[in-house]
Amino acid sequence: MSEVIVITSGKGGVGKTTSTANIGTGLAKLGKSVVMIDTDIGLRNLDVVMGLENRIVYNLVDVVEGNCRMKQALIKDKRYPNLSLLPSAQTRDKTAVTPEQMVKLIDELKPEFDYILLDCPAGIEQGFKNAIAAADRALIVTTPEVSAIRDADRIIGLLEANDIHKINLIVNRLRMDMVKRGDMMSIEDVIDILAIDLIGAVPDDEHIVIATNQGEPLAGDSSLAGTAYMNICKRIMGEEVPLMNLDVNNGFFAKLSKLFK
Amino acid sequence: MSNQSVIIKSNRYGLVVLLDDQPDWDTIKNEVAEKFRSSDKFFGDAQMALSFQGRKLSAEEEAELLKIIGESCRIQIVCVVEENTAEEQAMKAAVESRRPVEQHDLANLQDGRFYKGTLRSGQVLESETSIIILGDVNPGARVVSKGNIIVLGALKGNVFVGAAGNESAFVAALSMAPMQIRIGDVIARSSDGAARRKKKADETPKIAFVENGNIYIEPITKDVLNDINV
Repeated sequence: MSEVIVITSGKGGVGKTTSTANIGTGLAKLGKSVVMIDTDIGLRNLDVVMGLENRIVYNLVDVVEGNCRMKQALIKDKRYPNLSLLPSAQTRDKTAVTPEQMVKLIDELKPEFDYILLDCPAGIEQGFKNAIAAADRALIVTTPEVSAIRDADRIIGLLEANDIHKINLIVNRLRMDMVKRGDMMSIEDVIDILAIDLIGAVPDDEHIVIATNQGEPLAGDSSLAGTAYMNICKRIMGEEVPLMNLDVNNGFFAKLSKLFK
Repeated sequence: MSNQSVIIKSNRYGLVVLLDDQPDWDTIKNEVAEKFRSSDKFFGDAQMALSFQGRKLSAEEEAELLKIIGESCRIQIVCVVEENTAEEQAMKAAVESRRPVEQHDLANLQDGRFYKGTLRSGQVLESETSIIILGDVNPGARVVSKGNIIVLGALKGNVFVGAAGNESAFVAALSMAPMQIRIGDVIARSSDGAARRKKKADETPKIAFVENGNIYIEPITKDVLNDINV
């Protein structure tokens, strides 16, 4: 049986779409069959991050409205044949789909995939309600900033109210140098406020920006963020993976001081 | 009915009904009904003491008038004060002994309920009774109680105790870093930027209460607890 996971945050711009793309890619790399659904109707961008925007013919709304069959709308990934994307519509808005229709759509996908990842839009309105309607499990993405954490807290409350109790936390864009100086909240501080289990922390890594712009998710490569996402994928599958040390200092002075060690 | 055989006067604590002793009893009754009916909007369902003056009334007559008043408007007559007593004093004593805490409120204040779990941003917990929270109250969450609130966790959101206007209510928390505390009609907010500046919230259990119209937050000690009334 497949697991339906919604990736959400409340606040925009904290890395939901990037996380979805990387977790999807990571799980596919680990041999699972995965479909990613972009539920952000009207602000389509998961396809861009995946580098698949030129292949879109039909979209989620077309499937819901019966303009095409599911098979026609699903886009196979360039790199992994066991990874698919159901893109959202760009010309419509969130009201084009109801939560009931989402449940029906996902039920249709369940027999064919191990994991169904839902990229949730920012906010708590219709788009959010659509995205969580069929979810078994949620991954909350937050950055170590008070605004993002406040919204994440609200989202967790709403998820619990909707009977989704398997909720894990991804702390994104962590900068260990700032944490050390006391200028940024640490992972512990974030967990302390949100009181949910951590499934992974992703460092603020310029490789992510490059990968996102090129449409090539980096989960599983040698970069720090790539490794972090791969670890998250393994933990989603139930493996016990220790938290990696994000404290890798690549600054000029660090290299210099290494020379003198 | 244009004559002024019945006049209603009021002071802070109640009403004085001046009755002319000339007209016959039915006229008086009709006019009392009329007067109270027309002033129903003005008085609402206020609790008041009442006294009759200007006419000697038998016990039956007084009861009859009270019945008429009860039927004509929503005023709750707390008591009837005898003529010639120092009216306002007597009325004040009578009304204030009933307020500010009514009988059923008192029972509620003694009562409490438990809530287990973290209250998150956007969640509101309201209760007629006191509340004990086994968990945190996060920023953006709100807890409202007519009684007291005790948080066995970190209080970082908004709390409102003594919501019926009871300033003897209190808030206690293991970690006290609220955004806002309101006790009765007194409001205190956290100092600007305090929550952000402080790395870790103070871990001493604290209690917040009102004294001389100000909210004080103090560590929970025997001395402080001795001064708390429940």
